[in-house]
Amino acid sequence: MRLKQMAIIIGVLYGIMAILPVFVGDTRFIMNILVMCLIWAVVASCWDLIMGFAGIFSFGQVAFFVMGAYCSGILAIEHGVPPVFAIPLAGVFTGAMGVLVGLPCLRLAGPYVALVTFGVHMALQPVLRGKIGLAMGSGGSVGLLTIPPVNIFGYTFSSANMVPTFYLTLLLSLACVLVIMFVIKSYWGVAFLALKDSPDFAMSLGISAFKYKLMVFALTSFLTGIIGAYYGHFYGVLSFRMLDLDLFSILMVMMLVGGLGHFPGAVFGAFIVVAGSEMMAPLGAYRAVVMGALVVILVLVLPNGVMGLFTGKQDRAEAG
Amino acid sequence: MLALKNVTKKFGELIAVNDLSFTVEQGQIFGIAGPNGAGKSTVYNLITGFYPYEGEIVFNGKNLSGMPPYKIARAGIARTFQIPQIFPSLTVDTSLNVGSRFGSGTGLDPAHVDKIIEFLELSEDRFTKTNKLNLMGKKKLMIGAALATKPGILMLDEPMAGSNAREIKALMDLILRINQEMGLTIIIIEHFMKVLTELTQELLIIESGSMICCDSPEKATRDPKVIESYIGDAYAENN
Repeated sequence: MRLKQMAIIIGVLYGIMAILPVFVGDTRFIMNILVMCLIWAVVASCWDLIMGFAGIFSFGQVAFFVMGAYCSGILAIEHGVPPVFAIPLAGVFTGAMGVLVGLPCLRLAGPYVALVTFGVHMALQPVLRGKIGLAMGSGGSVGLLTIPPVNIFGYTFSSANMVPTFYLTLLLSLACVLVIMFVIKSYWGVAFLALKDSPDFAMSLGISAFKYKLMVFALTSFLTGIIGAYYGHFYGVLSFRMLDLDLFSILMVMMLVGGLGHFPGAVFGAFIVVAGSEMMAPLGAYRAVVMGALVVILVLVLPNGVMGLFTGKQDRAEAG
Repeated sequence: MLALKNVTKKFGELIAVNDLSFTVEQGQIFGIAGPNGAGKSTVYNLITGFYPYEGEIVFNGKNLSGMPPYKIARAGIARTFQIPQIFPSLTVDTSLNVGSRFGSGTGLDPAHVDKIIEFLELSEDRFTKTNKLNLMGKKKLMIGAALATKPGILMLDEPMAGSNAREIKALMDLILRINQEMGLTIIIIEHFMKVLTELTQELLIIESGSMICCDSPEKATRDPKVIESYIGDAYAENN
């Protein structure tokens, strides 16, 4: 898909989002869902970049999200760092963690990368709950309960002021998604795809697998950390329970619904799944069952996700 | 130009390449042949940095030992693979741009890519996804991407494999043109002895990782050790 087509799809999606508060701005519940759509769109897009484009089976995206959230929360609560500075610092921290996790993964192939990164995910919960976490200020099993909201020039962006907070989230989400789009369409993105398609051929043509794989780890964990940090300041509370498999699975569903490796499908996926999941809330415990069944049907009918509807048409047009 | 000095590669107990030494001169077409499993492709993987080894490989005075594949590509050694490698997500044009941008050491050179597209007669397929190409197209694409790196030496791994007589003739012409018109040194691994005897100036025959002969094709194909271990009496008598 060309840059222009990607930009149009993103523009339409975020444009629709931007006008929704005109109609539902008074309904706090719906505004909350819209904010969640925007936040998860970034996490799903980052995951799509590393897995769908770079072909690295990283299962650490939720862990980086939680790391970013906790890092920013701890900086704000324990050290009095204003959220506007704590958020980028958390991004830098998770970016560095991404590089640390990525380094051993460079020597490993697909399923082993998945195991290592999922190991990071699994290890994070006991760290946050245990003595190490408590010493760092994670709040242990209680979590963080008093994370201050973002404050810019004296204006507080919190769930108490949903419409302005929504637009701040929209700007942040759009900025992250645009970064991902430009990376995908730059020569970095070409290097990621080449390494995914045929690593030996790519290396024989001068691409450094080490550099570009590490770069994708750093970039995706940085952006995920940023949006995770913002999430913490938006909600004001954090719990290690975010590392349970529910969130992990639902993010996977977002990518599948949008179309793995079919950016900006992950944005579509996030919007559809977050909204769909909330609409199915009355189903209670059966929500997961219905969701699972819908995913199976979707994968069978649209193996390339929602974006397959666009790229399929394009492929057919190219084939004449 | 390229020299292997006492190069040895072991995979556990197996000695894949055993104390191999040879030199490729500037402007040559140099052939490598030998039975299946002789270690021909392993030699390519050693030269291009995919495996570590004992010994020394020197290219234009630069020791390549310990260099990763991408640095060796930028140093001027390009290669193709026995099983055609392509980037299914990319078009022919983008695939060649990959070679030019990352492998040339001087960044993307659109004029050079245009020249290669024309040289290889890939203009019609320029914006086609590479997975839509036929086998011949994929082989040309691999050669084109390798040429886009502006190499000093081009290493072809069994380029004739799976090709019919007409395609073999076309590929032989192409290899000769690359050598003569571009002035590029070429190493070619091949099983078709006719291809090697017609194209190459020097022929290395290896068996079980060891050199059994390195000479002109005329002399190499009459070497008793080569006849016994590789080409057989019938070929020697009929040629």
